[in-house]
Amino acid sequence: MKALIISDLDFKTDLFKQLNSLLTGYLLEKGSSIERIEIGRNDLAFCRGCFGCWVQKPGECVVDDKMTEINRSYMSADVVFFLSPVVFGQFSANMKNARDRWLPNMLPFFKVRPDGSTIHPPRYDDYPTLLIIGYADEITEEDLKLFIDITKKHLREIEAFIFRDENGKADLINALDKIKLMKVRGII
Amino acid sequence: MSGDKNNIVMISASPKAGTESASAFLADLQARFFRDMGFSTLRLDVRKSLIRGNVENDYALMLEADAIIITFPLYIYCLPGMLMRFLQDYLDFCRVKGRNNSGTRIYAVVNCGFPEAWINNEAVGVISSFSRSIGAMFRFGLLIGGGGMLVGTCDAPFMRKTMGRISGAFIKMGEDIKIKGSEKIDNILVEASIPHRLYHFMGNKGWVISAKSNNLKKKDLYRKPYQPETSGESG
Repeated sequence: MKALIISDLDFKTDLFKQLNSLLTGYLLEKGSSIERIEIGRNDLAFCRGCFGCWVQKPGECVVDDKMTEINRSYMSADVVFFLSPVVFGQFSANMKNARDRWLPNMLPFFKVRPDGSTIHPPRYDDYPTLLIIGYADEITEEDLKLFIDITKKHLREIEAFIFRDENGKADLINALDKIKLMKVRGII
Repeated sequence: MSGDKNNIVMISASPKAGTESASAFLADLQARFFRDMGFSTLRLDVRKSLIRGNVENDYALMLEADAIIITFPLYIYCLPGMLMRFLQDYLDFCRVKGRNNSGTRIYAVVNCGFPEAWINNEAVGVISSFSRSIGAMFRFGLLIGGGGMLVGTCDAPFMRKTMGRISGAFIKMGEDIKIKGSEKIDNILVEASIPHRLYHFMGNKGWVISAKSNNLKKKDLYRKPYQPETSGESG
């Protein structure tokens, strides 16, 4: 198994270190290889909404920076852990830049989902299992719900968790044990 | 704070460069309405502010605002990373200055490329959370579906109802600022007045036309540059 852990270089808090250590131990025990990518403030350009990744260079961002490496590693992994600080109930700026610039991995077209809403369909047949884990020392119930809604409500294939303190370690491991950490079919 | 002057800061946060964005269009529209209502208005452009290194000047203006209206496109179901950078750093700025935005009213205007306005809901929640973090009062949001077609079709007869509802929402914001309203106001949802199926059809056709203008064929849009050599279960 190939695991990729993407995290925010600017939020390496004690809580992050606990989470990172927990995941590392878990993955090594499963015999997985681990690649790590940390995103700093100046590593990624902002997505500028040009849609060049759809209509100029389909499948690749037209801005050639660290995101090229991230997207390549992402698509070759079996499982991706996206560890993000929770800021205002969503991803931190560094992590949101990476989420925004993941767009090339989808197709531009509009499709209708089973619930009747619109979505861009998958570009690839298979994707790594994506687990988004938000961490925050202090988080309101409102922001906690918001983070889960942002990550899970619109994208059915994503698993999302919040890690608040070391008491959550057992819950996270239990949750991971229930998930097949392998490539999955792209769905709408 | 500027007391009775009712100083409104309008923040336009489209990361698009070189083309007229829906967010800039909506901020222009707000400016016209608010000036007509007698407000003092100020426009900030997040992209330009970050590029020009003008951020601290703009933050100082935000600290003095009676109302802040944040207009932005939805990116992957939430705020663009560029706007998150701007707001995250603003919170740090307030902390360093030992200031908060007590008394400032905040409104969100979000437009998305999908026809469903409700998809913007969580993004408005993020602006509400940001408002709490800086001690400001979040009031309500305007959620627009099909925002991508506003600039090109705003004068078309079939968009009259949509544009009327958007204008009505801006007037409601202005009135709320004027009376310093505190009663809860629900978010306002507005969608382009065309059937979703037609919106999808036109959008899908548009991608193919754009590809052809870049000397690509329709099949090129399906390229898989990061396709691993093998896929499936492993480990």
